[in-house]
Amino acid sequence: MKFNFDRNFDWYLFTVWMALVVFGIIAIFTASASKIGEEMVLKNHYWKQIIWFVLSLGLFIFIMKVPLPVIDMFIWPLYGLTLILLIIVLFMPPVNNSRSWLMLGGFRFQPSELAKIVMILLISKLISKEHISEYKMLTKAISGTILPVFLILLEPDFGTTLVFWGSLVLMLAQAGFPLSYIVVLISPITGIIFSLNWMLFVFVCFLLILYYYREHFNWVLISFSIIFNTFIFLLTPVFWNSLKEYQQNRIITFFNPMHDPLGAGYQVIQAKIAIGSGQLFGKGFLQGSQKNMNFLPEHHTDFIFSVVGEEFGFMGASLLLVLFFLFFNRIIYLIRVVSKREYKIAISGIFGYLLLQTFINIGMNLGVLPTTGIPLPFISYGGSNLLINSFAIAMILKYSVYKVV
Amino acid sequence: MKTQARLIILYRIILGIIFLVLLIVLFTLQIIKGERYKEIAERNYVRIRRINAARGVIYDEKLNPIAVNNPSINLYFRPFLIKDKEKMADFVANNLPVEKKTVEKLIHDNRFRSFNEILIYENIDYNKMVTISENLNYYPELFFKVETMRSYTLPNHFSGYVGRINEKEYNKLKKEEYSINSVIGKTGIEKYYERILAGKPGYEVIQVDAYGRNLNIFKDNLNKKPENGLHLVLNINLDLQRYIGTIYPREYAGAIVVMNPKTGGILAYSSFPEYEQNWFASRITTEQWISLRDNPQKPMLDRVINGTYPPGSTFKAVTGSFGLEKKLINQETLLASCVGGLQIGNRFFKCWFHGGHGRTNILSALKVSCDVFFYDLSKFFKLDEFKDFVQANYLIDRTGVDIPYERKGFFPDTKWYAKRLGKYFSLQGRKANLSIGQGEVLMTPLQLCAYYAAIANDGIWKKPHLLKKAIGHKSLSYEEIEGPVDKKLPVSPQNLKIIQEGLWQVCNAPGGTGGGARVPGVKVYGKTGSAENAHGGQTHAWFACYATWDEPELAVVVFMENAGHGGSMSAPIAGKIISYYNLNVRNK
Repeated sequence: MKFNFDRNFDWYLFTVWMALVVFGIIAIFTASASKIGEEMVLKNHYWKQIIWFVLSLGLFIFIMKVPLPVIDMFIWPLYGLTLILLIIVLFMPPVNNSRSWLMLGGFRFQPSELAKIVMILLISKLISKEHISEYKMLTKAISGTILPVFLILLEPDFGTTLVFWGSLVLMLAQAGFPLSYIVVLISPITGIIFSLNWMLFVFVCFLLILYYYREHFNWVLISFSIIFNTFIFLLTPVFWNSLKEYQQNRIITFFNPMHDPLGAGYQVIQAKIAIGSGQLFGKGFLQGSQKNMNFLPEHHTDFIFSVVGEEFGFMGASLLLVLFFLFFNRIIYLIRVVSKREYKIAISGIFGYLLLQTFINIGMNLGVLPTTGIPLPFISYGGSNLLINSFAIAMILKYSVYKVV
Repeated sequence: MKTQARLIILYRIILGIIFLVLLIVLFTLQIIKGERYKEIAERNYVRIRRINAARGVIYDEKLNPIAVNNPSINLYFRPFLIKDKEKMADFVANNLPVEKKTVEKLIHDNRFRSFNEILIYENIDYNKMVTISENLNYYPELFFKVETMRSYTLPNHFSGYVGRINEKEYNKLKKEEYSINSVIGKTGIEKYYERILAGKPGYEVIQVDAYGRNLNIFKDNLNKKPENGLHLVLNINLDLQRYIGTIYPREYAGAIVVMNPKTGGILAYSSFPEYEQNWFASRITTEQWISLRDNPQKPMLDRVINGTYPPGSTFKAVTGSFGLEKKLINQETLLASCVGGLQIGNRFFKCWFHGGHGRTNILSALKVSCDVFFYDLSKFFKLDEFKDFVQANYLIDRTGVDIPYERKGFFPDTKWYAKRLGKYFSLQGRKANLSIGQGEVLMTPLQLCAYYAAIANDGIWKKPHLLKKAIGHKSLSYEEIEGPVDKKLPVSPQNLKIIQEGLWQVCNAPGGTGGGARVPGVKVYGKTGSAENAHGGQTHAWFACYATWDEPELAVVVFMENAGHGGSMSAPIAGKIISYYNLNVRNK
């Protein structure tokens, strides 16, 4: 089989991706401006983002040129480098109570961004071997993830670790790990969530048993899973009560921002007002009053979707949603058509983390998901974020050259 | 391959559901509820208003107020409502004693704090407020708030004062519920107990439109009541504090501390000259500031804890107890004969009394304050051991009194001299000087007072402190806030008895230098000191003493800068204080 680069390069995904990045730069431009009356103050975020974009394109072209085996060779050293950076970052001064930024002069970088892509590349390599047992697959996947996740939890950055696990689940599923086993692994979370209401918990257990029965599980495994869930269910209140009051408050605020209306809740209130007041056509480019009055903190990073909603209205915001939809839909298509197992797994992992980030970020802007410091891929301001995401897209497009269609 | 196809379908379903949900929520927010959110954004109904907590009052031990909150009418503006900067600045400058430039700068500095309330002027008198109010409908950005202003019932150095938070403090404290308009303790008790006094502000989430209709955007009740600060009850006795102010000769700068040896509580705390801290609590004028800055007596200096001075002969109690503890002398030991001085090496060290005291033991040496006895004693000890002893008597480290920015005392050691004098020097002369509290040794009046209090308390050293307890919605004692306060002097009970006897003779035996502090019906123990100092002129006049009835109740230190002899200047003042306490405080 001979591959023709030009014919097999996926221009569709590339175009949608470019459209997203350009959309992002426009959004950052308006987000870095604050205009009151005739006076306008423009911060230089958008310039920096353009520079990062150019750097990202450079990296993109570089990756496209390098043969895949060479990239494979660098995965283990990159993994080591990531761990070192994740350790160094713990000694950095905290920003917003978390030590996730590596600062060198004026240059800022989040090692956890790098960790995501490196982890995906490593694990897809580890678990893609043919005839690997499910048990081995699971242990390999978890042992590759546990160390970076532990280091990121120390920062602490819960949102990013969540994205890690989500991505891992998709990769396992893609590698042929039975879905029903994944359900067994994830189900204890329901024990934690429903620990407040035992009726709901019993109902969920009932559903689980039904599902297991349909999947022809033997009774030993079913009872083990249910007993373990009950154990977690009973243990959660004990663990909760052993926490200090401020720790409890932090967790409550994570799930219910209104618990702290001057802190996390304040942003959600203002973000909802910003988006809602945009209505159908928006207030117009640079005209967002919520943004201009500086109501929205972090409006060029985590809350940039609110700025889009406020200034471009439902039309603009849903256009962005459609772009994202096309983008992800195309990635699913590529998962289907790519020839090698390893590539399928890697693309699923990247798909998983980008989709989760997009969902969590837009969800928190709309006030339906808790506030976590997760940026919107390609749109939010942030150099390392754009660079790593571009790296991920470059990998997808590189894999996609090996299509079987 | 079948599972693969199933997976792809699953991905598509997940993707479809996620984007459908997001689209539906977006549609609800922007199209269905859009009109309402637009209204909210335009008039900004949802606002979080702070409710300040009342700052705790500071009382003396009899609950007489020292720092209180008076009502004050303050003028504020909201930056986002400004229509015409020029006009507003003109209006404010015409009605209040502020310059137009100042107002314009304030507007400019706060242009991004759109919905904050920015303070323009405080403590506006009622008539002025009425005239301004008449025009307020032209200036919707301006509004009045009735708040409180701190005011102090007497000038003093311990209470400190409050002021508006500055940019640096705000950036450090904004996480702890301070706003840009917060008042914060800047010095003294107000700063030290800031967290207890300040309380916690509450807030109110306003979601009502101009017609009073509840918009009910957020259903949870988000309001929080403020938690007022606790009131502080100090050990200070205001009557005694005022009395000291009336008897102190104002031509001298100085300091007086009175404390209870049994508890460490400070009954009176004066540094002279005093200054009016109400000037700082409101807005200090340039003239007031210049008058404080250019006063040669430096009224802002708190001499009780921030002034360090050579202690002079009051230090002889330390030297004497060191000699006793090291067994260099006992009660009977007679040292070199005083002939108005003592030859040490090639230098003749003078005694203050040129006639000479003859041979003395420790008791008579303390009584007549003979320098020669201590010069001679100093020949027998090592400097560094002596320094360790001074340190063990808590005369070098900070006492830990509950006022910020306390200074340390100082005592040199061999290393310190070696650094300054090079390799070859003789310590003997320096030791002689140090043994009578002269030379490089420095301490604060408070350190000395705590030391004499510990002698009175049979060797138990108590951390001096102003706070007695905090009261309000809960009650906390000083010990609960600051922890245990007891330490011990490194002197045996027998030796302490000898020192106490010597101090008694100073005030009561014929020929003692501290006779001026004698008070009928009270046993007074003390030591005079006249410290030569680099400022030349007269010596610093010291008197450190304590008084017992059935139990020791008072330790007093009187320090007067360049006032002359401790016996003639300071001792009589200490006597008056003890006598006043005996007649007016104790019997009530």
